Amino acid sequence: MSLSRPGERGSDRLRSAVARLRAGGVRTVRIARWELTRSVETVDRRTAVALLVVLLLAGSGGLVAVDRGIGLEDGIYRAGVVDDGPYAEVAAGSDRFVVVETAPDEFRRGEADVDLLVTSTGELVPADTETGRAAAGAYREAVEDHNEALMSLESDPAAAYPVLVTVEYRPRVSFDGEGTPAGGESTSDGDDGTSAGEESTSDGEGKPAEEESTSDGDDGPSTDDASLGVPDVGGGLEGTDRPNSPGALSPPFPFESLVLAFLFVVPMNVVIQAYGSTILDERIGRRGELLLVSPASPGEIVLGKSLPYALGLVAIVVVIAAAIGGGPISVAATVPLALAFLSATFVGAMLARSFKELTFVTVAISVGLTTYVFVPAVFADVTPIALVSPLTLVVWELSGDPVAIGQYLFSTAPFYLGSAVCVLFGLGLYREEDMFAQKPVPAKALDALSVRLGGYPSVAVLPVLLLPFVFGAQLLAVSLLFVVPEAVALPTLILIAAAIEELAKSVGVYAGFARSRFEPSLGLAAVLGTLSGVGFFLGEKLTHAVQFVGLRELFVGQVVFGPELAGGPALLAALVFAPLVLHVLTAAVAAIGASRGRAGYAVGLCLATLLHAAYNLGVITLVA
Amino acid sequence: MSRDRREGADGSASARARWALVRRELASLRSEKTILLAISIQLFIAGFSSFLVVGLVAMYDPAGVEEYELEVAVTGEDRDALVAVAEDRPELSARSVDRGTATEAFEAGGVAAVLDANRDGDGRLVVRVTAPEGGLETTLLIVQLRETLETVEHTERVERADRLENPPLDPPDGGQASPYVEFTYTVLLPLLLFLPAFVSGSIAVDSTSEERRRGTLELLCVGPPSLGDVVEAKLLAAAVLAPLQAALWLSLLVANGIAVANVTALVLLVAGLAALVVSAGVSVALFASDRREAQLLYSGGLVAALVVAALFPQHPANVIARLAVGAPTATTWLLVSAICVAGIGAVLALRAGVRRLGPEGL
Repeated sequence: MSLSRPGERGSDRLRSAVARLRAGGVRTVRIARWELTRSVETVDRRTAVALLVVLLLAGSGGLVAVDRGIGLEDGIYRAGVVDDGPYAEVAAGSDRFVVVETAPDEFRRGEADVDLLVTSTGELVPADTETGRAAAGAYREAVEDHNEALMSLESDPAAAYPVLVTVEYRPRVSFDGEGTPAGGESTSDGDDGTSAGEESTSDGEGKPAEEESTSDGDDGPSTDDASLGVPDVGGGLEGTDRPNSPGALSPPFPFESLVLAFLFVVPMNVVIQAYGSTILDERIGRRGELLLVSPASPGEIVLGKSLPYALGLVAIVVVIAAAIGGGPISVAATVPLALAFLSATFVGAMLARSFKELTFVTVAISVGLTTYVFVPAVFADVTPIALVSPLTLVVWELSGDPVAIGQYLFSTAPFYLGSAVCVLFGLGLYREEDMFAQKPVPAKALDALSVRLGGYPSVAVLPVLLLPFVFGAQLLAVSLLFVVPEAVALPTLILIAAAIEELAKSVGVYAGFARSRFEPSLGLAAVLGTLSGVGFFLGEKLTHAVQFVGLRELFVGQVVFGPELAGGPALLAALVFAPLVLHVLTAAVAAIGASRGRAGYAVGLCLATLLHAAYNLGVITLVA
Repeated sequence: MSRDRREGADGSASARARWALVRRELASLRSEKTILLAISIQLFIAGFSSFLVVGLVAMYDPAGVEEYELEVAVTGEDRDALVAVAEDRPELSARSVDRGTATEAFEAGGVAAVLDANRDGDGRLVVRVTAPEGGLETTLLIVQLRETLETVEHTERVERADRLENPPLDPPDGGQASPYVEFTYTVLLPLLLFLPAFVSGSIAVDSTSEERRRGTLELLCVGPPSLGDVVEAKLLAAAVLAPLQAALWLSLLVANGIAVANVTALVLLVAGLAALVVSAGVSVALFASDRREAQLLYSGGLVAALVVAALFPQHPANVIARLAVGAPTATTWLLVSAICVAGIGAVLALRAGVRRLGPEGL
């Protein structure tokens, strides 16, 4: 062609690219529509009616159950009573106890089959068993409940509720920061811009109505307060400043928000069951081959098949958010979660050999992801580690706390990236030799990895792709070990973190050797190990965005993300390059092991993990 | 040759065929390592729920943080009642101070909270608590304060006993209740015993709908075994796994020093439950048009059944708890036998239904 028309050729290329893209889009939409209509058509009238019956049953049963309670603890203790005194009445009135008329002598001889003896004076004699002691505790609670029930019937509220409590939560003003907070006015709520003075006095049920009037009337104490520097919340908030009886005190635990946040996860677990089925369906009886030989690319097919489910989940998320009073943050936080559920299920359905296996794979995904998002959210009010879960953002939004963009990125980025990588690996398997073959799961997983191995650069890229999972797995470990005593948690965590990182670095190299992409020689293994070590090191530097959320304040956080960089330039350089050397060294060890087959890989991986853990331990003891 | 005669003539052949089918089902579970995955998922769920309960209880339990003593400052006109009660509590020490000192100490972190106690016009004790915002310490503090203030409340009530129609009872000295006991028997054990049965049902649904999907169910029926034999084999293979797993969990619990009573009855109950759930699963898979619907119907049905079971005099989970803790009543035994009978009934009903259906009805 002549040289005078490069521009035209460029625009031609652009036009044909646009045309290709459009054709691809049309095919994707067509597949999506087909998936949708087929799903609707297979639900025949019989099944629809059966589902309706099931729903009705559950609904009506649920109404009754809510009314009566499930009664899991009913009748699990046997209480021996002597006569019909008031204390025997308490046992008879409690659901937990089965009451048995028992003579004290009989009990002392050990002949009575009861967990607990209640004497007529209210003395408790528990049997010498775990259950006996638990029964004594439960009985004490029953007496307290009984007292509360009695008091709610009394006509003299001042005698029935003689103690009234209000709690005010206030951030501590640092001493040298704002001067001595002696004057009550200077520490009044809201000065610091934080949400101070959230009144947590739960509205006590069954409390007499006169409470409000007494709280208004107690001028004496409230004037005292003003001079004390414990400020009254002010006239505008009087409704929430109502004193209550001590029993109504509850710790600031966002239980309700947590349950509401959990609502988002439930439909995802249901939808992925159907989604997994439809993906696996393509692979049964070579049905997917027809689509595979069509002009549509695997990417278009998968996108088209997934689109209805993804859009459906987004719609469900929006509806739930609207129903529970969440805003855009709730939606934005849970959509990546939905993507993670779908993409993990996609990979699972590509790996599974049968419906049975798929069920367990999807259940494993459900359990794993649900744990991952639920456990950290439990600590939403307690520690910044809670940000690991996007559900924490939902909890925060529901309880009116602000969410910063950095916090959003921190908690959702692993989900976005992880979903993308899952799709990438799943697509690698969307080819004839993997879709319709009955290969074991690990073999297929190796296939998925080795498909992504082109030349040497790809060896360095693979560990970076796996980083979101490394990140996620380590964070899960941190939040699971959060409550364990530090003496146990630290060594365990160091070992787990090292093992996860070493696995991520070496599994690609192993896949390459196992699928004969590389010659299993010592020299090449060392080169590949170095490459993957360098790649991982560079990728890991990305995770230093973690610093922004202050996760390092936690000691356990340091174990995973390395200690705070501080000190002179020499130390700084050492702290930057020492990990590089470490990653390269351990990756090479594992890679050399990987070149010697499966057993060799196992040995190499263990060695690398131990080396890595020893290094981390050394650094921590050096710095801390 | 009529079907009946053939069955009568070589019943042993049919039994052998059935046995081969059972082995085939179990072998497929073994080769896919599905059962290992199932067991590890159950372990994870059990471990996770225990972790949640133990972890959360440890967080709120004052006994769990022994060396940890919370110090609060008490101010106001009527601090004596509070200070006196706090003195009896080892986890909480109260310092009676004037207001300025209290505020300073609070700001400096010297005390965990400031309690301001005053009497109002009716003689009630009004306590204003100032606590630091957020954090684990606040949670612990509130739990501690609630118990202390409840004791104060009780003392005050007793002082006003003449103004009450029914004076409150003195709470007995019961020692510390262990929340783990109740959790173990009422949540963990029912969970561990239900899960194997539900997993077996799910296996049956998948196995049946996959054979239908692949068309191998018809193929099997061309050979000597009838459709009834095939279905029964699937049922047996799936249902047998549940009581085995249940026995495994029970022995694990016992090995960990948790006393479990009526083990035989519990395993029998799981067997009955599994027979019930698995026959329901197979019927659903034969009824629904594909696996998506079958699983949806099956899991929806399970949830519905669990909810509806709340209408029983004792919920099945409660039946398990009562049996395991060793406090079964006559109703408990009645329900155990009812579930076992229902399981046998479901198997028989499914068999009759499949006979009527025949391979043509698939």
